[in-house]
Amino acid sequence: MNLLQREGTARLDGSGSDCRRYPCEVFDKRLLIVTGKGGVGKSAVAAALALRAAFDGRRVLAMAMTDDTGLAVHLGVEQLRYRPTHIRSGLDAVSIERPEALNEYLRVQLGVPRIAQFGPLARAFDAVASTAPGIREVITIGKVLYEAKKGTWDLVVADGPPTGQIGSHLRAPATVARLVGAGRVLDQTGWMARLLRDTTATGLVMVTTAEELPVTETLESLAAISDENLVGIDGVIVNRTLGPLEGDIDRLDDGPAKQAAQLHSGLFEEQERWIAHLPDGLRVPYFFGLHTPPEVAARMADLWGDT
Amino acid sequence: MSAVLITGGGGVGKTTLSAGLALAAARRGVKTLVVTIDPAKRLASALGLDVLGADPTPLADNLWGAMLDATRSWNDIAKRYAPAEVGSRLTTNPFFEAATQHFPASQSYAAAEEMTIYIESGQWDLILVDTPPAAGGIEFFTSPARMRSLVGGRLLKWLTGGSLPGRRFVYQFTARPALRIADAALGSELLEAVADFLIDFRAAYDGIAERSREIEQHLAASHKVVVTTADPAPLSEAARFFELENGTPELVVFNRVLPESWYHAKTVAPSPFDDNLVRWGTEAHRQAEARRRFSARWHVEPATIPWLAHTPNDLERLEQMIDSAVGLDLDRLFS
Repeated sequence: MNLLQREGTARLDGSGSDCRRYPCEVFDKRLLIVTGKGGVGKSAVAAALALRAAFDGRRVLAMAMTDDTGLAVHLGVEQLRYRPTHIRSGLDAVSIERPEALNEYLRVQLGVPRIAQFGPLARAFDAVASTAPGIREVITIGKVLYEAKKGTWDLVVADGPPTGQIGSHLRAPATVARLVGAGRVLDQTGWMARLLRDTTATGLVMVTTAEELPVTETLESLAAISDENLVGIDGVIVNRTLGPLEGDIDRLDDGPAKQAAQLHSGLFEEQERWIAHLPDGLRVPYFFGLHTPPEVAARMADLWGDT
Repeated sequence: MSAVLITGGGGVGKTTLSAGLALAAARRGVKTLVVTIDPAKRLASALGLDVLGADPTPLADNLWGAMLDATRSWNDIAKRYAPAEVGSRLTTNPFFEAATQHFPASQSYAAAEEMTIYIESGQWDLILVDTPPAAGGIEFFTSPARMRSLVGGRLLKWLTGGSLPGRRFVYQFTARPALRIADAALGSELLEAVADFLIDFRAAYDGIAERSREIEQHLAASHKVVVTTADPAPLSEAARFFELENGTPELVVFNRVLPESWYHAKTVAPSPFDDNLVRWGTEAHRQAEARRRFSARWHVEPATIPWLAHTPNDLERLEQMIDSAVGLDLDRLFS
């Protein structure tokens, strides 16, 4: 069930209440993968989801899949590493750096002894990963799925690759299965694809803003993902939305109040035009005057609390 | 002849600004080519770009447009810099597309190569390049060096075994004990195919290395414009350009700027819109402070473009957007 079809959440058509209560189904999953076009606030949403779940008493791991700067700044730390950084009670965060992810993949997934992981083997893997499609992605998504599977965490929130690369990551187990005719890498692709497709455990959260390019990319990405049945989609979050403005702007005298009202209603009109193209989803308001990324993430997490 | 690179983080309006600047230059009689990456459909149709492929197409008087097609660029690069028979073998190799997409800064390098070709053609007075969004466009400047280090790097030398022919090499390769594990993990067919591909790719190394130095010179000689909003993510992307050798921007443009006067505005008669003014005024103030901090830190006087309710979607509105900019010295930029 789409998280955004629950009552009590803000529906994109404006029905329902505002987005106070974040739907609980999302937090009952084991893995949420967050994606969106660059600049729409994907990392802020990932950080806020992780914070909310931690506030609610869950043991949460936030993972940066491709670029760790966004998630790190929204969690208020300078840098994330491959080893968990403790953010607050119930919340740890990591960044999936490739050499370490590869070593762990070799050791845990393929059973290669630690001593053999350096030198020629690692270099061979690196060469293959830079050349053949899917290998690099399977190591990254494999790490995320492994953390979700192993039971240390109630919830894993992955700040995923941008929409342009999400397909190649979700598709990676299948790509690799086709490419690698035999071998232990092939044996590992089955459970990965199954866990991704298990809608009770895994969900994709798509973040966008109500503008042309992000909405277009979101729709293209949603279509490809559901056509190929790669992962269950847990709805669209529309970030930085404005509320409607009541009253007759034309009756205002010229001046700042009128200018601000005209800008607001123009932006609102444009926003509604693009939202109309999207499937059901959740709105997150524009946070006026907020300065820092941790403030934005905390406000968003508050918004999804019980009060 | 001059080249202008429009860089900045994702979602700040680079493509729209590139189009606007190109149009402004063309209307001043400068023969202009704008190279864009992935324009919004409405902007593309405003420019006539929706019918346009990778080749420069006339859009208006003095204005041409081209779209970057990284896959096509890489096909051309392989054919241009590898021996003829290797080049065609490379481009038909099933790994070619995936590999070129995986190379570090691959799309940026393709864009930089295209830009260099257009500059060398001497057909335009001004070439405006809307840089790829990856890593905020910063990797555009480092892409030639990264490409050299990839192709000439230890990894490739080791893997392709210098002058060893492909098949023989792979036999050697899998004969080494540590690599039997790789073989068991990945299968020897895949390992062989990868080694064959890399051996071919290496044949293009000398050509690519030489070319990448020429590209670097053109990048260093170009004007750089950084576009940002007052939001933290694009601001930190913008700051990275100031830390880059040879990348120091000549111009910083703040987009979606609100008038700071809204913060100090007093309402004359109470109206239902007062709360709205307070909200936007607070935001205007936050923007102005962020702008002042950035300007002081990097010693720049940024140009500003007002926040428009509607993204320009025709030539007239594009021109209006450029006209409404404050502190934008077009003569200097286009010189």
